[in-house]
Amino acid sequence: MIAQLRSELLKQRSTRTSLSLIAWMVGLVVLVVALHVLSLGAADLSRQSNQMKILGLGTAIGALFAALFGALSSTAEFRTGTIRPTLLITPRRTRVIAAKVGASMLAGVGVGVLAAALTAGGEAIGLAARGIDTELTGGDYAQLLAGGAAAAAFFAAIGVGVGAAARNQVAAVVGLCVWLLFVEPLLLGNVPSIGKYAPEASAGAVAGAIQTEIADNLSAPGVGLALLAAYAALAALTGSLLINRRDID
Amino acid sequence: MRDTTRDGLSRDAAPRVEPALRATRLTKRYGDVVAVDGLTFSLVPGTITGLLGPNGAGKTTTLRLVLGLAAPTSGTAAVFGRPYRLLEEPSRRVGALLESDDFDPGRSGRNHLLALTLAAGLDPARVEEVLALVELTAAADRPVRTYSLGMRQRLGLAGALLGDPELLILDEPANGLDPAGAHWLRAFLRRFAEAGRTVLICSHVLAEVAQSVDSVLILNHGRLVAERHINDLPDARALEALYLEATTEEPA
Repeated sequence: MIAQLRSELLKQRSTRTSLSLIAWMVGLVVLVVALHVLSLGAADLSRQSNQMKILGLGTAIGALFAALFGALSSTAEFRTGTIRPTLLITPRRTRVIAAKVGASMLAGVGVGVLAAALTAGGEAIGLAARGIDTELTGGDYAQLLAGGAAAAAFFAAIGVGVGAAARNQVAAVVGLCVWLLFVEPLLLGNVPSIGKYAPEASAGAVAGAIQTEIADNLSAPGVGLALLAAYAALAALTGSLLINRRDID
Repeated sequence: MRDTTRDGLSRDAAPRVEPALRATRLTKRYGDVVAVDGLTFSLVPGTITGLLGPNGAGKTTTLRLVLGLAAPTSGTAAVFGRPYRLLEEPSRRVGALLESDDFDPGRSGRNHLLALTLAAGLDPARVEEVLALVELTAAADRPVRTYSLGMRQRLGLAGALLGDPELLILDEPANGLDPAGAHWLRAFLRRFAEAGRTVLICSHVLAEVAQSVDSVLILNHGRLVAERHINDLPDARALEALYLEATTEEPA
């Protein structure tokens, strides 16, 4: 298992995919935070709940990119054909998926911390520039960083499972984006009583960052963490089951 | 019937050569299409065997079944006595080069090999050895997308050799190699077999096969239609005649 994990960590850093994903994420976080800090009125911005909502956007972007990170770790093998040498070296396929989950979760921690820190830092700078006081406490920031890291780690595991199940890179990436950017916001907006248990809302709950649609309706952080762990386990097990059952072309 | 000789030793105690690979009634169906149909053969250690047949004859599917990438519909394929997926440390037993271009174009040749070496738990120094063996050391830090077909073929071969395996399975290995490269490969495989190891080569190039192998297996429509020792085929023309006879459709 350690051998496979080391191999997956090398795969992660030996192409430019990881770096370009991180560059896209940094750009997107900066853009989203800047748009909100610059466009909201001063009265709105000085409210603690709105400051938390902006942090929630960073958590969501971190979770999305962590999921993409995990998904690409699976689908890149199918897209390039490296899945064949990978499985010839490690024919016990569950080990390969477990190693991908491990390596992607480690990367996910980094992605989550980076997204949360950038969001918090960007918001603080923007507020200072507009002369608005920050209403957030040290505890809020601590939860944002720790929760953002944990949520992104679980999203990375979800991505590995989705990627292994879908195999096709475009399908996996589009599927994750559609779910996280459209389906879940709709669910939150229209059926918050169910939506609050969905993965992205759970990530918000863990990080303590308010999702726009359900300001007052978040799960407790512990519930969010347990739900995310369950979604990650479900996705990874499904991906593992399917890759074991299917033939490799 | 007593099974022991007078000195009390079982007759089976005499060393019996275990085939490096044994396929028994190996069958793979995709819906109504039978890709591999009741294939039975075994490979004797120390020999080079050519697996021949037209496109769609089932050669590549056979390799995928043998290597555990696909599951047979029925029958079995065993390498060194067990299914590939149950081998401990498979890279030390079997090295395979499949016909496809199985590299991440953005990863360097060295990192491709290093990722496999780490997963196999082999000494990373092995990477430099196989790179030198296939003469790719100078290009090893370039991304694979800059490699020629022949270089990719050699990188694939380097990957197959990482674990210093006892059985090599190669799909069209001479594809893209220049004449010097093809000559080197033939000599390499001969030395490999003379050391008591086993080679299975899939190929379309009959002249190439005739120069390299000890015996041929010819597939058509997933079935084994001919099996010959190369000594029974005096030259490449005799192999071609056998191949055409075995794979040409008889008029209905």
